[in-house]
Order: sequence, then structure tokens, then C-alpha cells
Amino acid sequence: MEVFLSGIGWVTSAGFGWGKQGGECTLADLPLRSPSRKEVFPEPNQRFGRMSDYSKVGLGAVAFALRDAGLETWSTKRTIGVVVATQLGCLVTDLDYHRSVLLEGGGLASPNLFAYTLANCFLGEAAIQFGLTGSSVAINEAREGLDSLCIAIEDLAMGEADTMLAGICDLAVPEAFAGQVTLLPGALFIVLSAAPNPATESYGTVTLTDNGLLYNGLAVASLIELVQAALAGRAAPTHFDKTLQPRKP
Amino acid sequence: MRAVCISAAQTVTGLGPDLDSLWRGVLNNESAIRPLTRFATGRYRSEIASWIEGLDCRNGVSGIHLLLERLLDGFGPVPADATLITASTKGCIDVMESINGGGTGDPAEVTMAHLLDRISGRFGLGSPGVNINAACASSTIAVARAASLIAAGRNEAVLVVCMDLVSEFVFSGFSALQALSAARCRPFDRNRDGLTLGEGGAALLLMSRERAQREGRPELGLVAGWGSANDATHITAPARDGCGLIQAVRQALNRASIGPEQIAAISAHGTATLYNDQMELTAFLTLFGERNLPMNSIKGAIGHTLGAAGGIEIALGLKCLEERILPPTVGMREPDEGGEGFLSCSAQPINGSYLLSTNSGFGGVNAAMIISRGEG
Repeated sequence: MEVFLSGIGWVTSAGFGWGKQGGECTLADLPLRSPSRKEVFPEPNQRFGRMSDYSKVGLGAVAFALRDAGLETWSTKRTIGVVVATQLGCLVTDLDYHRSVLLEGGGLASPNLFAYTLANCFLGEAAIQFGLTGSSVAINEAREGLDSLCIAIEDLAMGEADTMLAGICDLAVPEAFAGQVTLLPGALFIVLSAAPNPATESYGTVTLTDNGLLYNGLAVASLIELVQAALAGRAAPTHFDKTLQPRKP
Repeated sequence: MRAVCISAAQTVTGLGPDLDSLWRGVLNNESAIRPLTRFATGRYRSEIASWIEGLDCRNGVSGIHLLLERLLDGFGPVPADATLITASTKGCIDVMESINGGGTGDPAEVTMAHLLDRISGRFGLGSPGVNINAACASSTIAVARAASLIAAGRNEAVLVVCMDLVSEFVFSGFSALQALSAARCRPFDRNRDGLTLGEGGAALLLMSRERAQREGRPELGLVAGWGSANDATHITAPARDGCGLIQAVRQALNRASIGPEQIAAISAHGTATLYNDQMELTAFLTLFGERNLPMNSIKGAIGHTLGAAGGIEIALGLKCLEERILPPTVGMREPDEGGEGFLSCSAQPINGSYLLSTNSGFGGVNAAMIISRGEG
């Protein structure tokens, strides 16, 4: 199955942006700052300020990816699906919320924080903000976003949606859980479609094979590697494997 | 597309350690909802849940491991080439509570990767798998994902394991959202006033029908269709017009290549919150008109088991199709307006081959699954 990559957006500790704006997408082991409302949305947005940091980071990257793909503005809801891979999900929000439970025997538990204690909730925010009515799912995996890419491509192949966003989102590992997980904080989303996106030029093609993923025919081992290859316009990741062939239809 | 069958199914719920005890319980209008002793409930809107004895977090070890032991002991052989998909919203949340409260616990347990590794290792599976987190539709989407992989020929077998615990974390949250009923929940009742939480698990082995037949495995049922959609309306409340659920069900009908008139029964989400149940009735009336179509919710019997709900309901749905009976909506006394003709306090006969199971959740998620009767 071959699909078209037309949008890239990211919020990482090295900065934020989208592909056609220029700049590089880098995941780094540095403190991650949540984007402000003004950095994500040009117009006032009543919801953004109340969101958890996990949601702000994820929603920011979704917004930038859709902007890059020319799909940010909309008038009617669209069957666009989203799948995000995360290792720790909203653990930071969970800890914040649970601290509110520990006070006064739970009597001060915060309903607003609780609403963000599911890893998929920021996908709901994205659905509301951008009118996305496809499937929206968070998955826990440790393959650097490969599973989210596979699910997105497979959903496109099955005709579940014409366009899918696939990405990763994690905040830094909380101190009490240091050493349990190795990850670089940040969020990164790409826009994939079954046919070329008429709203913008595609970066290239992504192909799911029996042996892995190809970007423009060359093997990629993670979502960040795919994105960096697309942004660089290069077609030769360092570990190109000539044995990989596109999946037969 | 290849035919997808379910060749093994098991549950653990407040009504008992297996699918048969769940079946008998709901059929007899029983409920496992009772006062909670796991944590203090004095500051919350409710003091009850459907809980399973012995699943407390002890010495920092999550109760979910015991739940999984009970669920998977005796589950039967799982092919080594099966892919693992789990469905859980909060996994070992009790360990997080312990650590964050200054108690003991292994921080590694808080990651879903830890649970995936344990289950994968137990069955000697070759890949670690993924956990699906789509709120209360997690396991319906997990089963849909499994079916999709098999139908497309990417996998021959997928093991789906669904689980969630009753924790103070979640209990306090629903209480803070004013979503808990002080009394046992009454799904689809005219006077319903909120949900009751529950805990449980389900395990389902999905295989290509051809492979299952070749290996002489039972065919408990077929996964005929599935769909998933976001209503893009609100984070914690459903769209009043049921647009997301309608879209998900229509996808499932299309995938199954059947019309709405072929659906013979509905296992609804039926949380007993005012808005969820009204949304579902609106959606089903839009989809199925006002014909008499048996529908139920089992949350008055086993509580709302969150990420495990869809898996438990699909497992029970197989039993319903086998016995051609839809159990009563435990806890309901008088159906809400629009529910007459769908809902009953008694078991209803199923005259047909297809059962629709639906779930909806936070984040605007809606999921639908159509299963059909197997050949035994």
C-alpha cells in the first residue's frame, strides 16, 4: 500500500513548526515547553488555555501538520482519522490530577484535570478544532511511531478514511519514573492520504511492505527518520536495504 | 477480504470468573454492584461499584496481574504467530496511585509496555503488540483493529486482551464530573441519574476463518463489520444528535455488506448517564426506525468497565447469538422515551444472525462492531 505524505508538523524541545515553513524537526533530550495559544492559533481559543501540557503539545503538532497540508481551515466536518503513538501518554496529567485526589479525601479532585487523564483526549480536541470525524485512537507502543504509521496506512488501505494523521506524543519522563522509559519528548504528526492531496504538493510516498516502511522507496526505521528524510528532500536513509520491496496489492 | 472468526472468548467480571457465570448472572437479572471497600468513598457521590474480590494493589503490585491470571488461566492455546492487542484506559493505575501517594510500587509497571511484555511473554508471542487507548471504546476498537489485520491478510491470528480496574483515581474523577449515580445505575431508565463503575477483563482470540478451520478450532462467531468515528463535539459529552455513533454504525454495516434491517439485536453502551443513553436512543432510532429491535445494556449488572467494556460485551454477544437470547437491561425499570420496543427488563429472543455492539467515550470516540453467529 502506497500513500502520499503532504503535511508535517512538530512541537519538540528544539522548537516547533511545519514542513513548508522551513526549519528542521529534531527530537532532543531537552526541556519541552508547551506552545502558547498564539503560537498555535492566530485567533482566540477558549479551550486551549485549560488543556493539559500533553494536550497542548499534541494538538499543536496536529495543527501544524494540517496547516502544512493545507487542511487547517474547514467548513464541514471531514472523515479524517488520527492515530498517535505514545509511551507514557498523559502520565504527567495523571500525576497532577492524582495530587488533587490526595487532598481532602478526594473532595478536591479536579474535574477539569480528570477530563485530560486519557491519552486520546487531545485527539478529541483536535477533532473539535478541525472537524475531524474519522477514527481517533491513541496507542501505546515502543517502536518510535512505526505502529501509528502502520495503522494509518492500513486504515487508508481498508478505506476507513481518505486522509489520516499519524504521529507521536510524549512529555518528558516524570522524575519518579526516570529510567523506566527511554524517550525524547515532543510531538510530531504527518498527514497521509490515499490519493495526492489537491490542497498542496506531496513530499513523497510512504509504502507499507511486509518488511517495514519505505519513504520514496527507501527504508525508514522510525517516524522521525521518515520526517527528516522528507524535510531534507533526500531519498537515501543511511541503512537503505535493497531487499525491501513494496507489498504486493 | 478474508472472513474473521472468534475462536476463543473469556471474561472476568464482578459476576464471576468466566463467561458462563457472566451469562447466567445477566440472564437472571443479577448485579455485582455493591459497596466498595477498596478505598474510602466518604467524599464521593457514590460508595458502590461492581468489583472483584482480591484485586487490591498489595505491596505495590497491581491488581491487574491477578485479573489477568484469572482471565488467561485456562484460556487455551494461542498461536505463537498471533499478534497481541490490548485495550486498557489506565492499566496499572493502582501502582501509580501507590507511588504518587508515597507508597511502594515498581515504576516500570506504570508503562503499558510492561503489561504488553507480560502478556506477550505468557503466550510466547513473537511481537510485543500495542495497547489501544480510545477511552470507553478501547476494546471495541481493539477488536476492530484485530479484525482489520486479519481481513486484510496481514495477520492470521490476533489475541485481544481487555482490562481495567476500579481505582480511586477514576472513581474520584467521575464523581467530580457529577457522573456517578449514588444508587445502582439504571441504563436507559426514564429516571436514570448516572453511571456505576466496574472492573473486569476479556480475552478474545481472532483468527482467519480458514486458519481456524484448518486447526480445528471452534468458531464462536464471525466479525462481520466494524466502524469508528469521532463526533467532534465535546471532550466529555456526546453529540446530542448521535452523529458519531451513526457514522460508526453505518461504517460497520457497509463493512458487513448488510442493511440495518438485518441487525437482530443491539448490545448498547448504556452507561446510564443522561446524555449518553439519550444520544444512543437518538442514533438507533435514526438508524433502525421504530421497529421492535431487542437492545440491552449490561452495565447495571457489572458496572461500566471502561476500556474492557466492549470486549466483555462482544464476548457476551457471542453467547447471545449462540443461545438466541438477549439478556435483560439489569437495573432499568421504565424505558426512557424512545426506548420502548428496544429495551426490556426481561430477556428477549433474537430472531436473526447479526448482533450490533457499540461503545462511546471521552474524546468524542464512537465504535461499532457487528458479529454474527458462528458454526460452533
